[in-house]
Amino acid sequence: MDAAHAHNGHGHEAHGHHYTGIMRWITTTNHKDIGTLYLVFSLTMFFVGGLLAMGIRLELLQPGLQFWQPEFFNELTTMHGLIMVFGAIMPAFVGFANWQVPMMIGAPDMAFARMNNWSFWLLPPAATLLVVSFFVPGGATAAGWTLYTPLSTQMGPGMDLAIFALHIMGAASIMGSINIITTILNMRAPGMTLMKMPLFVWTWLITAYLLIAIMPVLAGAVTMILTDRHFGTNFFNAAGGGDPVLFQHVFWFFGHPEVYVMILPGFGIVSQVVPTFSRKPLFGYSSMVYATASIAILSFIVWAHHMFTVGMPAAAQLFFMYTTMLIAVPTGVKVFNWIATMWKGSLTFETPMLFACGFIFVFSMGGFTGLVLAIVPVDIQLQDTYYVVAHFHYVLVAGSLFSLFAGVYYWMPKWTGHMYDETLGKWHFWLSMIFFNVTFFPMHFAGLAGMPRRIPDYALQFADFNMISSLGAFGFGLSQLIFVYVVVQCIRSGAKAADKTWEGAEGLEWTLPSPPPYHTWETPPVVK
Amino acid sequence: MQTVTAMEGTEVAHAAEFSLVARRNNSLTSSGRLLVFVFIFVVSVGIAAAFAAFGAWLILPFAGLEMLVLYLAFRYLDRHAADYERIAIDGDKVKVEFFEVGCVQSHEFNRYWAQVVVSRDGSRLALRSHGRELEFGRYMNDEQRLSVALELKRQLRGAA
Repeated sequence: MDAAHAHNGHGHEAHGHHYTGIMRWITTTNHKDIGTLYLVFSLTMFFVGGLLAMGIRLELLQPGLQFWQPEFFNELTTMHGLIMVFGAIMPAFVGFANWQVPMMIGAPDMAFARMNNWSFWLLPPAATLLVVSFFVPGGATAAGWTLYTPLSTQMGPGMDLAIFALHIMGAASIMGSINIITTILNMRAPGMTLMKMPLFVWTWLITAYLLIAIMPVLAGAVTMILTDRHFGTNFFNAAGGGDPVLFQHVFWFFGHPEVYVMILPGFGIVSQVVPTFSRKPLFGYSSMVYATASIAILSFIVWAHHMFTVGMPAAAQLFFMYTTMLIAVPTGVKVFNWIATMWKGSLTFETPMLFACGFIFVFSMGGFTGLVLAIVPVDIQLQDTYYVVAHFHYVLVAGSLFSLFAGVYYWMPKWTGHMYDETLGKWHFWLSMIFFNVTFFPMHFAGLAGMPRRIPDYALQFADFNMISSLGAFGFGLSQLIFVYVVVQCIRSGAKAADKTWEGAEGLEWTLPSPPPYHTWETPPVVK
Repeated sequence: MQTVTAMEGTEVAHAAEFSLVARRNNSLTSSGRLLVFVFIFVVSVGIAAAFAAFGAWLILPFAGLEMLVLYLAFRYLDRHAADYERIAIDGDKVKVEFFEVGCVQSHEFNRYWAQVVVSRDGSRLALRSHGRELEFGRYMNDEQRLSVALELKRQLRGAA
């Protein structure tokens, strides 16, 4: 009998047709493809932002102006921040979410696969706007990534391009977040209750919620800058009755939760990696979930610690100081739980575990300097010094970036089906760890001694610290080329990875083949 | 939650000798969806309204736009939440129904001619008759498809 399928739209033939070549990537609605696109995009932007950082450190290698004019130096610092935050770190975590969340909860794909495609493809035009802004009259925005008024209301057209780029990236983030929330809440496999979800999924659920809450605030803030610049409004223009300080409040109400957007998924990755290489279940799973939620809630009531010097009542300073210190409690719970997980575990130190341990060690140092900065009288001394630069690089580079590296090394064998070169991975870790500290540790001293940030020149007494930092930065930048080599080599060749790559790994993704088929969990597994 | 349950519908249940409903997997209940949406809405619009009170009213339209997209997403989920597939054997008829977004698509086979087609691993389940093949079991997993295929074969063999 000739079988003629009755096309009812229910069958598996819906998955049958795929484009090939470039069209596959443009039209894809597959979560794994889109995850790969996000990761490749963010790696590219990481190197663009890194190149700008090299430019910054080149100028700061010695006192005096050697390479750049001060205006261009400020463009470098601003664009380095914007590109790293919105182009590298955030999209990298979204890439992880795309690859991992459906596989970890037993869902066939994201809830809104086509919207997922749009979310990604909004990013390249936005990144192009940012990069192109260097070449418009007046250059790129030089107001700092915080876009403080009145600087930002006075810049050239590069500022407008940055505003449009942020709008587009914000729209992409909102669509991505809605997708992640609906996927996690509505598409979990039978038996995958909320409190059985892998911690990476939990952290992303909370992160997506944070993004939904804060993205309209950013969009509104930059739109008000735009209308102040071109349409005669006076939101932030003191001469017209506006308030420049209002912008700082609006920006940091977005900005502080944004910091947690960049670290919570990293907590999730580390919470997957540490138990695997300790060969023990995560210590205090539920307390980890509650700690993550607590950090997210607290993130909405600490924003003014970024602006203690702007002028506010002592009561407000005290409130924001205490709430900021309070964040150390749930964060401490997390660090305690990671260490307790390792306690008496059967530890091995493959590259993902090295990066996870490096993360815990160095991120904690960044956390402690955060506590120092939370103290109002101290912060008033250290505001806008290199101490602040050291602090946020300790949490964003050693925090977010190291957790991303841990995640890539952990799941790359699953994604590619090949093992990466362990020796090179370890070289990558140790060089990154050493050069990171060489770069950023001296900045604490430079900051404590009073060196202000965002300047291309400095007094002679800061010369030694800056030379050490610059040499460390060049070493750190070069070390990242090892990472690219390891990734490319892993994609193209390498030993066949087992389905369960790591002996101690637990979770649905490890029950799938390595690499997983194009479509996974078309029928959900039953989680016991 | 993906479930294969005994037929409890009203239209054909009264007379069907054998019937089975497979519903789509929804790990969030209808009230859960409402709760999540209301929670996000109150917080997001609350934040925007607070800023509007301090003069930064341009956050409100963006929050509104975002809530609209969120509403459409949840509405889509809600409309699809009740989707199901039903197969019912009644007398000499085998009736297959696909219910999607409130619309029912029905297919009928003759019980004496219908054959069950199932792949060895259970990844595909279909009914075949007179050169026509109808695939179903979208909401079942492989094990469930295999057990449903076994039961259907038994039912159809019983008729012969």
